[in-house]
Amino acid sequence: MTDNKLVSHSVRANLLVLGLLALVLGVVPGVLSFLGKSYYMQVANSALIYCVVAASMNLITGTAGLMCLGHAAFFGIGAYTAALLNTHFGLPFLLTLPLGGVAAGLAGVLVALPTMRLISIYFAVATLGVGEIVHVTLLNWVSLTRGPMGMQIYEPITIFGHQFTGLLSIYYVIAVLACVSIYLLWRMNHSYFGNALRSVREDDQCAEAMGISVVKLKIQAFAASTFFTGLAGAVLAHSAGYISPDSFQFSESILILTMVVVGGLGSLPGSILGALLLILLPEVARGLGDMRNVAVGVVMFLSILLLPKGIFGEVSAIEVARKLFNSAWDGRNAVGWK
Amino acid sequence: MPETILETKGLTRRFGGLTAVDAVDMVMRPGELVGLIGPNGAGKSTFFNCLTGFYPPSEGEVRFLDKPITGLKPFQVAKMGIGRTFQNLRIMPNMTVFDNVSIGAIGSLGHSLRRALWPFNCLTDNEISQRTWDILARVGLDSLSSELAANLSYGKRKYLEIARALATDPKLLILDEPAAGLNEQETEQLADFIQKLNREGLPILLVEHDMGLVMGICQRVMVLALGKKIADDTPEAVQQHPLVLEAYLGGEECQY
Repeated sequence: MTDNKLVSHSVRANLLVLGLLALVLGVVPGVLSFLGKSYYMQVANSALIYCVVAASMNLITGTAGLMCLGHAAFFGIGAYTAALLNTHFGLPFLLTLPLGGVAAGLAGVLVALPTMRLISIYFAVATLGVGEIVHVTLLNWVSLTRGPMGMQIYEPITIFGHQFTGLLSIYYVIAVLACVSIYLLWRMNHSYFGNALRSVREDDQCAEAMGISVVKLKIQAFAASTFFTGLAGAVLAHSAGYISPDSFQFSESILILTMVVVGGLGSLPGSILGALLLILLPEVARGLGDMRNVAVGVVMFLSILLLPKGIFGEVSAIEVARKLFNSAWDGRNAVGWK
Repeated sequence: MPETILETKGLTRRFGGLTAVDAVDMVMRPGELVGLIGPNGAGKSTFFNCLTGFYPPSEGEVRFLDKPITGLKPFQVAKMGIGRTFQNLRIMPNMTVFDNVSIGAIGSLGHSLRRALWPFNCLTDNEISQRTWDILARVGLDSLSSELAANLSYGKRKYLEIARALATDPKLLILDEPAAGLNEQETEQLADFIQKLNREGLPILLVEHDMGLVMGICQRVMVLALGKKIADDTPEAVQQHPLVLEAYLGGEECQY
């Protein structure tokens, strides 16, 4: 490959990143605050949060091939940890946020240790059980979680004494966190670590015979994925100001799974597109009235029938990642992943 | 230099009442190309799986490079330097040829979450890439590096599997029925390739169902029948061995 082409690739990569950042941090909040409807801003906030959740679930379900049916549980653990630490101990957002992630990550490791020898449907059912346990606990441990009444977080997001009260400023907090989380998940997906995860999905025994410690790898992936999901949960608790067990039940796990599958299993940009589609579509279809959810279902059904590999499949996602961000890919002495 | 590459002493593996591998002793010395043959159900695959850690042996010992490896897990055995292929091709179909081969290098050089998150080039990652490219060039798959493994022909997949095993930088390569499903010409090419690898100093244990390939290229042939080792000699001597003839062609009476 010539130097010229190398340069043009890295320029295009930088332009793409800048363009996306400009979109998320400039155009979207600009347009939304111009429209001046706070409801749209709330939808944008929740869309960003679900982008992180779907992208983190993609790491285990798409990339590592572990079908998780209880991901909402880790979302909930992150949210409730942040809410409880904030209301009972008065911990600031800068502490509750990472602690929410860590709590979910620890829960993830605890779930992973006994279940990592399970595969496919058995793993799915085990995580389904975990999801139910967490949901029922949140619902019935009234003295701690206030049960079905949900929890209110009165303190606005405060970072170094600055209070983020306006919807626009909350949007920026979420957007920055989402960008950082997605960047880190991107690195995990598009690296030799990601290759190792994919090999576990394709053939775990074979990966083991090549010297990969499959159990350790799965636990690492599970911990990372649940950490980011917990982080998203903590952001949800602080930005929405109210959480209830309803937001972390089985149907939520299925919604997250659907985002990943519709977007494209194993594809990080795909899961983000899937999250955007499934959060924004019901809002766009609001005009249909009662037929709204039917329309959403039809779109999901058709997208799986017509695009079984997802909106943006894994193979194309990896190809784009390589072409743009690893410009030396074609070269003879090139590296596989930067 | 260790005196023996691989050594088993009284290696036994039972499944319930069935003794699949029965007190097998073997020795492989540096640089050897050894064949392991036997009729269907002789215990070749079980023996193989005991060597590579997939089954823990019921009794006996396996030593690799003068160190005991009995009871180690497959990934630990692989990390110590035993590379293997599988009887029924096990490539990773939804990954590219490059990524398939990189798995071997990742397995031996290690994967880490920290390294994945580090946004700059790092030495280990460069080494993985470099080794993957070298191996791809050695087996002649470098022009197909960005092709999905699922799109390769059957013959090419065989080489892909060997390449992946070579990427673990093995001190011993065990090939499980590499010629299965190949036509005569392809088998000949594969034999040349295996001999070339061996001449470069890599000890190879060739597990085969079929005599042709083994007799042609191996310096020494071991024969298993009903779990027992019945012969261990040069290909010429093994072909004349009465017990071997009996095992393959059937004798008047079977007494083992």
